[in-house]
Amino acid sequence: MSADRGERRLRAVPADHADATPDAPADARADADALADLLVRTGRGDQAAFERVYDALAGTVHGLALRIVRDPQLAEDVAQEALVEVWRAAARYRPDHGSARAWVLTITHRRAVDRVRSEQSHADRLMNHGPRHAVGAADQVEKPEDVVDAMDAQWRAARVRKGLEALTPLQREALELTYYKGYTNRQLAESLGIPLGTAKARIRDAMIRLRDHWEVAR
Amino acid sequence: MNENVHSLIGAYAVDAVTPDERADFEAHLDACEDCTAELAGLRETAATLGEAEAAPAPAGLRASVLEEIGRTAQLPPLTADDAPAARDAEGPVPLGIGRDGQDAQERHARQRRGWPRLAVAAAVASVLAVGGLVGSTLMADRDDQLALEKDVMMVTSAPDAKSMDLGLGTAHLVVSEKMSSVVAMGDDCPHPKEGMAYQLWLVMDDGSKEAGPTFMPDSDGTFMTMVHMDMDGVAAIAVTEEPMGGSAEPTSTEVAVVGL
Repeated sequence: MSADRGERRLRAVPADHADATPDAPADARADADALADLLVRTGRGDQAAFERVYDALAGTVHGLALRIVRDPQLAEDVAQEALVEVWRAAARYRPDHGSARAWVLTITHRRAVDRVRSEQSHADRLMNHGPRHAVGAADQVEKPEDVVDAMDAQWRAARVRKGLEALTPLQREALELTYYKGYTNRQLAESLGIPLGTAKARIRDAMIRLRDHWEVAR
Repeated sequence: MNENVHSLIGAYAVDAVTPDERADFEAHLDACEDCTAELAGLRETAATLGEAEAAPAPAGLRASVLEEIGRTAQLPPLTADDAPAARDAEGPVPLGIGRDGQDAQERHARQRRGWPRLAVAAAVASVLAVGGLVGSTLMADRDDQLALEKDVMMVTSAPDAKSMDLGLGTAHLVVSEKMSSVVAMGDDCPHPKEGMAYQLWLVMDDGSKEAGPTFMPDSDGTFMTMVHMDMDGVAAIAVTEEPMGGSAEPTSTEVAVVGL
C-alpha cells in the first residue's frame, strides 16, 4: 500500500482545486450550511460535492490526525481512511443532528485514537514507522497557504487556547490525555490515581466548560 | 435520565471509551433524548478543539482519496425502519464500521449472556463530584463499582425498563422484568437520620417483605443501588430508615413506597 502511495503522490493535482473556500469566521454560519448541503449531496453519490467537502476539511482532518498519531505517515493513512469513510457513510449524516464539520471530525478523531491504541498494543511502532519521520520534499504541502487560511488558522488556535485557559489545570490535563493522547477513561483514572467516576466526570465537566465558554464567546 | 450511563457522555464525546463502553453507550443513546441532545453539543465542542490543529494535507492525498472512493460503495441511509439491533451495530453515527465495530458487537453480546447474577449489590455512591472529591469509603472497591455501573446500565437500557418516581427527592426506580432487576438512583436524596441508612424492601403479593440493600446518599444526595431477583410476585418496592448495616425485617415505617 505504501509503495502505491509513493507513486500516487506524483500525480497532478486536479485543476479545480482553486475552488477551495476557507471558512473564515465572518461567514462561518453560511459556510457551515453550505458544507452540510455538500455532505448530504455526497451521500447521494455526488463526487463533485465530495471533492468540495475534501477541499474544505482535508487540512483539518489531516491536522487532527497528525496531532494525535504524531507520525506523518500514519497521519496520512488515518486521514485517508477517515476521508474515505466520510464518502462511504455520508448518507447517514443528519444535518439536524449536528454540523458537517463535527461529523467529519468525529470520524477522524475516532480513527486516529483507534490507530494510536492499536499501534501501542503492537509494540512495533518505532520499527515500522520510525524511519519515515524524515519527511522528504515530496511530502510538502499541496498548495501554498494563502493569507486568509493563515489568519483563519490563527483565529482558531487563539480561540482554542482561550477556551483551554478557562479550564482548571486538572480539566486541561484530562483532555490532553484523552482527546489528544487517546487514553480511555479507565486509563485516565489509573494513570492519575483517581476513581473512575471522577475521571468520567472530569472529562465531561471539561467539555461542558469548553462548550459554554465558546458559546458565550461566539 | 440515567445519570450513571450519562456520566460516560464526556468520555464518549472524546472517544475515551473502550469498544465495549462505546457499544453500551450507543445502545443507550437511541433511547435517551437527554444524552442525544447533550452529545450534539459536546461533539461540536470536540470539533472546535480538533479544527485548531489544521495542517495542510500532504500532496497526493487528494488524488489518492478520490481514487479510493471511486471503488468504494456507499452505505444506504439509516431509516426509522432499521431495527435497533442493526443501528446498535454501527451506532448513531456510523463510525468504526468493520473490524472494530464487529468486535464490539460480539463482545457486547457475550457480556449480555454472561450477565452476573448478583443477588444484592452493595450500595455505592454515584460519582459525580467535581475536582476529585468523592465519597471515598464507598469507592473502596473500584471493581465492584464498575460491575455495578455496568449492571445498572444494562437494566436501564433494557427494552422493558420502566421508570417510576421513588419519592426521595427526584430519585427514581427503574424496573426490568426481563433483567429481573430493580435499580434505585437519585441525585438530590435527603439524608437519613444520624446513624441510620436507607434500606430497600421488596414487598411481595402476600405482604411479606424481602430485605434489599442499604444505601446512603453522598454529600450531594447522589446514590445508586440495585437488586437482582425475579420480579414475579413483587407487588411494591419500599424504603425504610434502618440502623447502619440494615435489618432483616423493617424496624420503621416506610419513607417511600412504589407499587409495581
